[in-house]
Amino acid sequence: MAKEMLTGNRAAAWGVRLAEVDYIPAYPITPQTEIIETIAKWISDGEMDAGFVTMDSEHSMITAAGAASATGARTFTTTSSQGLMYGFEMLYTVAGWRVPLVMVNVSRGLSAPITLGPDHNDILALRDTGFLQIHCETCQEVLDSVLMAYRLAEDKRVLLPVMVNMDGFFLSFTREAVEVPDVEAVRCFLPEYQPEHAFFRAGQPMAQGVAVLGGEFYSYFKYQMHLASQNALEVYREVSDDFERIFGRKYGTIDEYMMEDAEYVLVMTNSFSTLGKAAVKRAREKGIKAGLLRPRFLRPFPDSDIRNALKGKKAVAVIDQNISVGKGGIIYSEMAGCLYNEENRPLLLSFIGGLGGKNISQEEFDLIFDKMIRTVDTKVVEPLHLLYTENEWKGITKLKDIAGRQ
Amino acid sequence: MLRLRFHGRGGQGAKVASRVLGSAAFLDGYNAQDFPLYGAERRGAPITAFTRISRDDIMERGLVSQPDVVVVMDETLLLDPQSSPLSGLKKGGVVFVNTPRTPFETKEGYGIEDHVITLDITKVSLDMIGQPVLSSLAAAVAAKVAGIGEKALRDALKKELSAIISEKDLLDRNIEAAIYCYNSVEPISIETTEKVREKENIISIPFETALVSSPSILSRGNTPLRRTGNWRIFRPVWDYDACTKCMTCVARCPEGCIRLNEEGYPFADYENCKGCLICAEECPVGAISKVRESHSQTKEGDQ
Repeated sequence: MAKEMLTGNRAAAWGVRLAEVDYIPAYPITPQTEIIETIAKWISDGEMDAGFVTMDSEHSMITAAGAASATGARTFTTTSSQGLMYGFEMLYTVAGWRVPLVMVNVSRGLSAPITLGPDHNDILALRDTGFLQIHCETCQEVLDSVLMAYRLAEDKRVLLPVMVNMDGFFLSFTREAVEVPDVEAVRCFLPEYQPEHAFFRAGQPMAQGVAVLGGEFYSYFKYQMHLASQNALEVYREVSDDFERIFGRKYGTIDEYMMEDAEYVLVMTNSFSTLGKAAVKRAREKGIKAGLLRPRFLRPFPDSDIRNALKGKKAVAVIDQNISVGKGGIIYSEMAGCLYNEENRPLLLSFIGGLGGKNISQEEFDLIFDKMIRTVDTKVVEPLHLLYTENEWKGITKLKDIAGRQ
Repeated sequence: MLRLRFHGRGGQGAKVASRVLGSAAFLDGYNAQDFPLYGAERRGAPITAFTRISRDDIMERGLVSQPDVVVVMDETLLLDPQSSPLSGLKKGGVVFVNTPRTPFETKEGYGIEDHVITLDITKVSLDMIGQPVLSSLAAAVAAKVAGIGEKALRDALKKELSAIISEKDLLDRNIEAAIYCYNSVEPISIETTEKVREKENIISIPFETALVSSPSILSRGNTPLRRTGNWRIFRPVWDYDACTKCMTCVARCPEGCIRLNEEGYPFADYENCKGCLICAEECPVGAISKVRESHSQTKEGDQ
């Protein structure tokens, strides 16, 4: 195993290459483009043996990926933001087919206004489709998660598609040292896919995703998807243990940082969790018992792992890098739902930060810890707070002026 | 941790420079992270790229807002308010400027208080590589400033450049020019502890109606305010003795920057000409020559 400097995009491509994927339908969009550029080049140079088709749109791309997956081919595809939205209709369809497709989403804010910076409104919009969701903090984690995603998706106790998420720019184009596993070790971990369910082919006619026209049938199939997704938590334990045994890296359904004796906990996902961890370290230097919990899975939601991790904590601040307009932070709602029936649940505070990749400053983290401590004293939990600095406000004021909006 | 920020123009190689430096640091045994910020930019537009180098884990992501070292690959960016390469530079930090002027002249000229290093890497590039492509050279200067070893730099150049250059001769010339720049810069020690950044106040955003808060632009015609003439590395210059007034250059200019004077000879609007030199390529009689731009000696718009 050799370490080299890889972007998140190239790490994803390496995951696909090492998984010895058979078929990749593709459509480029910033900031995902480098993944398919890399794969396309490897295939054209003969370094990778897979079918590669450039599609006319994301809608066709996801359809083709689902159909290929239904034939028993190990299939990969990838998109981002508006592209994901364009293919959205087919996400429900493909998940309903119960095919083990793996997709990478490179998170980018949704229009309007247009931005290329990341937040998680794109990936979280599909949390109810049936796709499992793994969210990554580092480039290494992207590569490793692609491999684990295939194991999970192809397990017959699951058979649901998996989405692996990474932040645009802050991972997709950021290079850091990544260990690229040996192909033989990967074959040990992820053997060739033996489809028992997927056998869609010309000589063997079948109907995939049929019309059932009736609530009682429809309910059965939908609930089965839910059970399969719940199974994934148990299956993942095996996958994660095997992965650790072979590659030495351990990934739980959640990532816990300085959580052991923590009283004040940040909850964050994806690449900005690194900033959160740095803030936890700084808070510890000031004597605050801080910790960070990062859900790696958002579907299935690792309820019991989160409840265990937060037992006895005083306050939890959820920093959502998304906004459900008219409600607030999506992960805040998920956390509230997860903790509601706990007797000694911690106080739960809601912050929105990092939308469109907006920086989260040291002062903003300081404010979060201050608020947590104050709230524990007063027991009065304020509504959500959008993290925004005075300087940033000056910037938007100037921009509004130039645009003639003041 | 050492935080470096590269400022260049699309096509000059700021991204590759940040990568070569990242790789060199990695090969020299450091933890490293490199990251370009681009997307909607195009050739000639200001872009930035970043490298973080540390013995410890790097607990940061995204843009470097408080660099220890700033590498200015295009001197005109120093006067560009949207680019402002020096913003956030820590006290005791180092600025490298690609310019034919001396460090003293550059400090005086731009009112820079920090430690300034200069080298005309565009000239080095034109002389030794034959193209104004600065990635390997800027990386070499940065590697010297960051105290990265020559062997690690060489290996990183080989690795990163061979991924984008297939011609061996060109690759060798790049490495040779880079090592020349590496050896032209005196080693320095950087001691930046003090942060220039002021504490950030956090505010609550008030409600504003959609008449104010929707993302549309009401004031028309503001594009010409953004001059693009300082994007040039070469300027097109007409030889009216050879010019036949055929107007091919006028027709071919993608920016509509070429007009005709009273006698029917073409002339360029140098405030907006980006120096793509399609006019020179297309001129049927070779009446247009490319002349190395020297923005440092003239203010923007001077002719």
